[in-house]
Amino acid sequence: MNDMRPLERIVDTDNIKISAKGCQVYYGDTHAIKDVDVQIEDKTVTAFIGPSGCGKSTFLRCLNRMNDTIDICRIEGEILLDGENIYDKKVDPVQLRAKVGMVFQKPNPFPKSIYDNVAYGPRIHGLAKNKADLDVIVEKSLRRGAIWDEVKDRLDAPGTGLSGGQQQRLCIARAVATEPEVLLMDEPCSALDPIATGQVEELIDELRSQYSVVIVTHSMQQAARVSQKTAFFHLGNLVEFGETGQIFTKPEDPRTESYISGKIG
Amino acid sequence: MPVLWIILIVIAIGAVGYVATRARAMASAGNDARHLHSLPSYYGYMAFLFAAAPAFLLLIVWLIAAPLVIEKRVAATLPADVVEQAASQNLLMAEVRRVAVGLDNAVAAGVMDEDLASNARADFTDMTARLKEAGQVITQNVTTPVLRAAQMMREANASSRLWMTIAVIAVAIAGAALAMMRAQRDYRARNVVERGVRWMLVGAASIAILTTVGIVLSLLFNTIEFFRIYPASEFFGSLTWSPSFGGGSELGIWPLLWGTLYISVIALAVAVPIGLFAAIYLSEYASNRVRSVAKPLLEILAGIPTIVYGLFALLTVGPLLLAAFGDGGLGWMQSGTAVMTAGLVMGIMLIPFVSSLSDDIINAVPQAMRDGSYGLGATQSETIRQVVLPAALPGIVGAVLLAASRAIGETMIVVLGAGAAARLSLNPFEAMTTVTAKIVSQLTGDADFASPEALVAFALGMTLFVITLGLNVFALYIVRKYREQYD
Amino acid sequence: MADATANSPRRHGSLTTTDPRTKRRNAAEARFRAYGIAAIGLGLFFLVVLATSIIRSGVPAFTTTVVSLEMNVSQAEYDEAESGMLKTAAYTKLFITKLGAQLREAGIGDDVQDDAIERIMGKVGSDMRSFYQENPDSIGETVTFTLNASSRVDGYFKGRVNRETLVDSRFLVATDLDVVDALTEAGIITRQFDWGFLTGKDAGVDNPGGAGIGASVIGSFFMMLVVLVLSLPIGVAASIYLEEFAPKNRWTDIIEVNISNLAAVPSIVFGILGLAVFIQFAGLPQSAPLVGGLVLTLMTLPTIIISTRASLKAVPPSIRDAALGVGASKMQAVFHHVLPLAAPGILTGTIIGLAQALGETAPLLLIGMVGFVAREYPGGFIEGFVEPNSAMPAQIYTWAARSDVAFYEKAWGGIIVLLVFLLIMNAIAIVLRRRFERRW
Repeated sequence: MNDMRPLERIVDTDNIKISAKGCQVYYGDTHAIKDVDVQIEDKTVTAFIGPSGCGKSTFLRCLNRMNDTIDICRIEGEILLDGENIYDKKVDPVQLRAKVGMVFQKPNPFPKSIYDNVAYGPRIHGLAKNKADLDVIVEKSLRRGAIWDEVKDRLDAPGTGLSGGQQQRLCIARAVATEPEVLLMDEPCSALDPIATGQVEELIDELRSQYSVVIVTHSMQQAARVSQKTAFFHLGNLVEFGETGQIFTKPEDPRTESYISGKIG
Repeated sequence: MPVLWIILIVIAIGAVGYVATRARAMASAGNDARHLHSLPSYYGYMAFLFAAAPAFLLLIVWLIAAPLVIEKRVAATLPADVVEQAASQNLLMAEVRRVAVGLDNAVAAGVMDEDLASNARADFTDMTARLKEAGQVITQNVTTPVLRAAQMMREANASSRLWMTIAVIAVAIAGAALAMMRAQRDYRARNVVERGVRWMLVGAASIAILTTVGIVLSLLFNTIEFFRIYPASEFFGSLTWSPSFGGGSELGIWPLLWGTLYISVIALAVAVPIGLFAAIYLSEYASNRVRSVAKPLLEILAGIPTIVYGLFALLTVGPLLLAAFGDGGLGWMQSGTAVMTAGLVMGIMLIPFVSSLSDDIINAVPQAMRDGSYGLGATQSETIRQVVLPAALPGIVGAVLLAASRAIGETMIVVLGAGAAARLSLNPFEAMTTVTAKIVSQLTGDADFASPEALVAFALGMTLFVITLGLNVFALYIVRKYREQYD
Repeated sequence: MADATANSPRRHGSLTTTDPRTKRRNAAEARFRAYGIAAIGLGLFFLVVLATSIIRSGVPAFTTTVVSLEMNVSQAEYDEAESGMLKTAAYTKLFITKLGAQLREAGIGDDVQDDAIERIMGKVGSDMRSFYQENPDSIGETVTFTLNASSRVDGYFKGRVNRETLVDSRFLVATDLDVVDALTEAGIITRQFDWGFLTGKDAGVDNPGGAGIGASVIGSFFMMLVVLVLSLPIGVAASIYLEEFAPKNRWTDIIEVNISNLAAVPSIVFGILGLAVFIQFAGLPQSAPLVGGLVLTLMTLPTIIISTRASLKAVPPSIRDAALGVGASKMQAVFHHVLPLAAPGILTGTIIGLAQALGETAPLLLIGMVGFVAREYPGGFIEGFVEPNSAMPAQIYTWAARSDVAFYEKAWGGIIVLLVFLLIMNAIAIVLRRRFERRW
């Protein structure tokens, strides 16, 4: 590791959770992600920003191999999670996704009760030895999703009956329940109203104490509010990556500056 | 005059009206179409519409109503003692109708001339002989009152025909004339024509309703007739089905219902797991290539006529099962036609029905739901079993109910594959029979339509219709509600 | 939140080693997938079994076993045969004598008895007699006769009959089969394509060899003509109303629910409707293709309406707006623009509906269109609609329900004919769809 590039020197190498090296993604003939190198730290919120179609969501979905479900998607290069290449043949995506959870753009609770929504992950991964154990996990997760107080009296009600903001926090609680190490969030607030957005952002900040959180957002203000690190994507390239404050105040690349000042995007 | 000729004449009147009215409209605008309210052809269409529509309507109403009126009038002339003697007025009127048709045929065949056929003093023994000679089927010797009634019926028919022809043609001419009078440059012919066309469209759409009404009425009247001569309590209460055309039949529906349900359950036990798993595989696992080959191949099974499945059951599956479970094998089966044979083949027929309906329904489950599950680290099968299928459950239940209604209403497979014996038994390798199979056998025999043995088919049909309709309405309701949920 | 465990999430193991639980889950996954493959495999297996049994059992129906013989009947022999009481028997005897003589001459069967030949030939006398009555010039000339062998000999070639099954038969004796083998070797008995099956009419229960499907094909044709002429315009008109003009009210709701329910009503119920309304009430003739066509029209209408509405719905509203925008009336917009654009889809749906109707059997049985009615070809075009006839599927049913095994072969053969028609119709529908389908 003696030929470290400048970008890598500024991060604390001991604390690196995910690192991507020369990552390329193709959708059929389209080259969607071009040669991306990035290092994501543990217990940090990293924001991916950029204009629509820049590849930020695609890259996020590469981090827990959600792109596997798309037939025409092809990935080259390597992405290391705790030093292991997640695209190694021996890696089971199921195990990977238990470790790298995901929250989606639109709240997508299952058509089950609130309790079953949260208990779904622990059940399939066998995290609870018995019903009491499961109850504890569900309560803990709902608390961590900052929704416990609102739903504790109606755990048997369908998850689809909650409001949009509540549904999204339920989905976060559901993701937390499998005890992942990394949480990926794909524009988690884009379908929510400002109040719900505030609640979710607050929650993201709290989650930072235990998880490495990667959030894709189209709102620069949101990136500035919740993240410590920011990566700016443009046309499939990672243009700039660094401390959030620095990116927003004195970006190095002219494209970043144009985007932040509203000239592109 | 034959109806076909009347139709052609009306069309001809309409065509003449078209040409004349169009010309008149053009003339009113100084032969410059720009001065007309509508395109010139619309004035022509208007004339055709005015001539043909009311005339055809009248024709149809007349054709339906006239026989009813005539029969009523003829029936009233029959002496009461003759009616009493002949068991029922319906039977007697059937005989009258037959004789009337027989006279027509005899005249047409040249066995007797028109004078003799309508001669009120004709000798009836001679008449019977002549009718028989003309190849007319007559159950008994023609009696004088019947002969007189038949002659009266013929006469009434002929005059009704004449008046109908006159009336219909007159209406057509009047319509065309009315249109022609109206053909002025400012007359809104297009709007009139479009309104007319619109009513025709409404009429076409209402045929669906008329069909249902027709089904219900034809089942209802004959069922009521059946219950008048055979007690409903026996029909719904008796556990034996043994029709005998000589009388003294026992017509209990339960053995037939049991056979129907037993076969349907076996069919669903075959079709639902196979169809459902096939749908799951095709929609969740299969690559595009596999799907584009396997899906149409499976759907071929749905396009094959049921008679083919019937033959397949009778000649291929039946003997195969007999070899395995018959005397040579396990000894449970007496003959190739059995509940198992019909159920198995019907199950094969229903596989694509279940699979393509379930496929649609599974595809309607939003991808976000699957993503949510994969994102938590669930395997594909866990996602399907615990997220997709529960979400699709109402729709799948609807699909299965529709398949059940298909199975209950299926005819040819059971007619050929299930056997003819009506019995209540638990052994699936025994021959049993179904509601549909008995409808066919009761109505294709030589039984008199007025006998309970033939009329029972309508009561069976009513039962079948009510059951399948109930299932369909319920299933379609569920499926519709399900679709709305994800729209 | 003060829980100690809550602050330190579970540490996961290495990704490259699969933990036992994941192994179990992956095994379950593989099993589940295998069920799916098995289901598809089963479905396809059934299809293959069905196809092979149709082809294996049906193809023999298209061939028949014939005896070809050159013969010279002199005027004297003709006169003698015509003078007797049993004329056809005399011809049969004449034929047998001549064949026997030829055989002995060729040295095939010195010991062939005349009654063996009679058993092999079935009844040839009437064929011969009618030939000579129509062609009196041929008397005294050498003519090659190609005559059908008896249905049991035919069955021998098709594997229905063998030496074991003939033990108790008096219609064909096991030793006759040796003669048949010898005749086959000599080229006198041959198998040839049976045009009679395609052009023939239904025959009596005792004459499976003479039964053909031709007449019922014509019956089906006239029925389909009725269905096409009625269901296409009515179906299109109803769909246009429901899709383009109908206000959203109770009445249209009722019609909609009605149509989807009618599509699922068992076909036999339509047969009852036809029997009660068209035959009992309206007094239309029994067994007439016209009535069959009417019943099938009512049955096909819902299918056609549903598919037509789908094609109309697929035409984008912008087309309607464009027409209305240049001042066309709603009616003109629909008839001039929407309908032509939807036409390929409508035709495809109609053909598929017709194909369904063509294969329908049960309702036809109730209105009397059973197979044995198809004894004659109709006298003309109009008569084709009203004269009693059968239809292909009903003819197949009648054959399948007869007890003589030889009819089963005819039934399978009939199925091949029926399926060929269905295949052609579906192929046309697919071609139409491929060629004209427009994606908006």
